[in-house]
Formats: sequence, C-alpha cells, structure tokens
Amino acid sequence: MLEIKDLYFSVDEQDAQSVIHTRTIVKGVSFTFKKGKFYAITGPNGSGKTTIAKLIMGINPITSGSVLLEGRDITSLGVTERARAGIAYSFQNPARFKGLTFRDMLSISAGTTDESELVKVLIRVGICSLDFLDKEVGHALSGGEIKKIELATTIARNPKVAIYDEPDTGIDLWTIGPMIELLKRERDENGATTIVVSHNEKFLQAAEEILLIRDGQIMHVGDLSSTTPLLQDLDFCNWKTICEGEAYARCHR
Amino acid sequence: MLDVIDRELLKGVADLEGIPKGAYNIRKNGKLLARQVSANILIETNEDNTGINIIIKPGTVNESVHIPVILSQADLFDVVKNSFVIGEACDVTIVAGCGIHCGSDKPEGHAGIHEFKIGKSSKVKYVEKHLGVGPGSGKRTLNPVTRVFLEERAHAEMELTQIGGVDNAQRTNEADLGPGSSVLITERVMTDGVQRAVSKNTILLKGEGSRAELISRSVIRGDSRQDFYAVLEARARSYGHLECDAIVMDNGTNETVPSLRSLHPDAELTHEAAIGKIANSQLMKLMSLGLTYDEAVDRIIRGFLR
Ligand SMILES: Nc1ncnc2c1ncn2[C@@H]1O[C@H](COP(=O)(O)OP(=O)(O)OP(=O)(O)O)[C@@H](O)[C@H]1O
Ligand SMILES: [Mg+2]
Repeated sequence: MLEIKDLYFSVDEQDAQSVIHTRTIVKGVSFTFKKGKFYAITGPNGSGKTTIAKLIMGINPITSGSVLLEGRDITSLGVTERARAGIAYSFQNPARFKGLTFRDMLSISAGTTDESELVKVLIRVGICSLDFLDKEVGHALSGGEIKKIELATTIARNPKVAIYDEPDTGIDLWTIGPMIELLKRERDENGATTIVVSHNEKFLQAAEEILLIRDGQIMHVGDLSSTTPLLQDLDFCNWKTICEGEAYARCHR
Repeated sequence: MLDVIDRELLKGVADLEGIPKGAYNIRKNGKLLARQVSANILIETNEDNTGINIIIKPGTVNESVHIPVILSQADLFDVVKNSFVIGEACDVTIVAGCGIHCGSDKPEGHAGIHEFKIGKSSKVKYVEKHLGVGPGSGKRTLNPVTRVFLEERAHAEMELTQIGGVDNAQRTNEADLGPGSSVLITERVMTDGVQRAVSKNTILLKGEGSRAELISRSVIRGDSRQDFYAVLEARARSYGHLECDAIVMDNGTNETVPSLRSLHPDAELTHEAAIGKIANSQLMKLMSLGLTYDEAVDRIIRGFLR
C-alpha cells in the first residue's frame, strides 16, 4: 500500500526581468494506492503526472506533504533508499548511457550477473533475443527498444509499487496488448501495486481505477465509463481512440 | 626474477599474471629483463641501443607480442624507441604498456616512441595501457608517442589507455593511411588530483578509400586538467570521424579542439565533441535501481571508459 498525503511541489522560476516567481506544479495531491491493484494516471500534457511519479520515487524533492509505504513514512528517504524499500519507476524519457549494456542495467536491477537469472527476467518480460542483452543502452537504440529495456529493469526489481510512465511510447500497436497482460500478471503473481501513467485507452480500460490529473490536482477518480465524458470535455486530444471519432471532428485538424 | 611490484605492474598494464606466452620483451628500469622470440616474430635491440625492432614475417596470423615496460627506480627517465615492421597479410595482436611504481619522492618517467609499419592487407590490434601506482609522492611522467603507417588495405585497431596515477602525460598519436586502409583509434584517459594530460593527434587520410575513426573518452576528476587536440586531414576520397567526449567532475578543466581539413572534394569528414558533467538523468536511473550515488557515478565512469 502506498499513501500520498497532501503532496505539493513548487519550483522557482525567473521571468524576463529576472524576477523570481514560485510556480506550484503539484497542488495538494492525496491518494491511497492499494496493494495489488492496477491504477492508471491520465490527464493533459503538462498537468503534472510525471512530476507526481517523480515525487513518489524521490527524484523530485517534495515541497510539502508525505509519502507512506506500507504505513512507514518514507518522505525523508532519497531515491536509493526508496528503491530498496520497494518502489520502482520506469522513466517517460529513459536516460541513455555510453558503454553500459542492457545486461549491465538488468544485472544492477536484478542484483545478479548470473546469466540464467537474467534470462528468467527476459522470459518474464517477453524479450526473446539473447543478443539484445549486449546492446548498449545508448543513442543507437530506437524509442521502442529503450522503453522495453526501461520496463524490464523495473520488473526485474520485483517492486512492491511499480510506476510506469507512458510505457507504450514508441511501442508497436500489437505489443501493447501483451504489455498490459504482462503488467497484470506481475500484479497477480507478485502482488505489485501497479500505476501506469498513460494517454492510451487500452491502459485506461485495463485499470481498476483511473486518476484524472488536471493542473496539478486530482480532478476525478473512477473507472473508464465515468472518466471518458470528462476526458472529452477537456479541450485537448491525447486520447486518440476516444477523440478521433466523429463526435470530436475538430481534433483532426 | 619478477618481484611483487613487477607482478602488480605487469597485471595492470598487460593483464599478465607472469611471463606471457608467445613472443615478448620485458623492460625493467631501463634494461632488458626478459625476451622471447618466435619462429615468425623477431625481436632485436636496435643499432643505437635506444630500443627494440620487432619484425613480423609476412603471413603471420593469430600470434601476439607483449612488450611491457616497468619502472620502479627513483630518478629515472627512461626513453625507448621501438619500431614494428609488420609484413603483408598478417593478423597479430601487440600488447604494450608502461607501469610506474613510485615508492619515494623522486620523479620517475618514461617516453615510449612506437612506430608501426603495417604491410599490405595486414590486421594489427595494438593495446597500450599506462598506469602509475605506489605510495611515493615523486612525479610520474609518461609521454607516449604512437606513429602508424598503413599500407594498402591494412587495418589497425589501437586502444590507448591511461588508467590512473600518472601526474603528467604528453601523448602524441599519428596515423598515415594508404589506399583502402583503415584505422580505429580509441583513447581513454582518466586524471585526478592535480594531474595533467595533453593528447595531440594527427591523422592523414592519404590513400583513396581510406577510413579513420578516432574516439576519445576523458574523465577529469579533482583539480586535474586534460586537453585534447585532433587534426583529421583528407588528401584523397576518404572518410574520417572524430568523437571526443569528456566527463568533468569536481573542478576538472578541459579544452577539446577537433579540427577537420579537407583537401579533396570527395572527402567526408565529421566530428562530435561534448564536454560535461555526468547527466543527472543517468544518476537518477541507476539510483532508482538501488545503487547509491557513489556506486552510480562509478558504474557510469567505468562504462564510459570501457
Ligand atoms: N523541475 C522542474 N522545474 C520546472 N518546471 C518543471 C519541473 N518539473 C516539471 N515542470 C513543469 O511542470 C509541468 C508538469 O510537468 P509533467 O512532466 O509532470 O507533466 P505531465 O503531466 O507528465 O505531461 P506529459 O503528458 O506531457 O508527460 C510542466 O509544465 C513542466 O514544464
Ligand atoms: Mg509526463
């Protein structure tokens, strides 16, 4: 179980006249993610979804509020300690490295260099090619490839809470179904609390609960049927399958 | 014959646990310590007694030569001039390197001038490591010069590494490429404290269809300074690429000057250069996999210098 209580995140910004303004990006977000449940976080671009995920992982410093994992207050813990406590985060824009291979990343993540153990992870996440292990996690990887590596390194940690930030970016359409099955299986077999940040209707369908974020706040919590009308009301078009219907023809422009 | 310090140095510069297999020449404190020739690889002291000539017979394949230099004598500046003549159609590996052990406050140094003539259609892999160790405060200087001449369709892969513990280094690399030949030079240098390293590189693409690639990876820690200069000059239809990457940590400083000179309309020359700190996103990714900050830095640096 992961609880976030009244989370705030502010940054100082300088305007053209060099005057410093405080901008609040996350504005009092509270929620309890239950063990072994599947959640989706959605909302317009720039609404604060990634920022919330990074506050949970400890990557962004919390301005105020608290984070509790299984009842333990982890607000003051850094990224390393939160990772060791059982939180894992798949980055929306994964870092690329010079000289580090997928094998290196997976070994760090799984805590072993034993190839048979790494192969077990590959089988679990459905990466069939062994050659892929020795690919550099560098600039030559395609957008889809690096997202698969990102997903695999998250799963290899056997986390209590797994947050996937737009895991479908660059992934071919026919891989999205199996990806959802994989995340559900991880939830069922390992009891991982699963949180997917996504604009993709397939993930929203798979989720037991959807959190709709707008302007740094939770605007709505519910299932797809209660969320869809709100998505259509918001004047943006991230939900292709929903918006690209005749009912929302102006999105085609 | 080899004491513990010798063994440590040999392990560090040539990955040797003891005396190597195949041909070798081990130089210690300015003198020959051991030498072994093979049926195809001849090693002899040169005429003016300033180094060795290594002559590899045409058609020699799958053989290696080790020529490490170890230094553990205070106040010695050892200069050697080694020349390699590699016949046609060879495929050989040459492992060189210099390890300095400094036990006192007296300076020690070495300048290895290595010249290679690589015959037609031959393939050479050259691995050179430089390392300074020991508790002494004496200044350790290593000034290597590597010159390579490639004949038609010859190929050379040169891995030049300065692992650590070297106070001052003036590195010079030169390559001269004949028709259809190719060279890949990878230089990796790590400095710390108040160490200083300068690397000067000149690559001449003289032959039609020649190809050269120079990759430089620098890690600059503490208050150290590294400068990197490279000139890639094309005099024929050819291809060349320079890639210079420096990670600056603490208060390190760096100047990187890549230069491309095209004297032929069909030459294709490119370069990439980057100087910067370790990206925060890289640190965050590894820390989110459970590494501490220091462990993450270490993994990133080790990967970068691999
Ligand atoms: N460290 C920061 N400093 C300044 N601004 C920031 C910082 N982090 C996020 N922001 C800003 O906060 C807003 C929310 O960003 P965030 O990445 O959380 O959005 P998002 O909901 O994930 O959007 P998307 O759907 O495009 O991924 C953006 O306007 C972004 O520029
Ligand atoms: Mg985002």
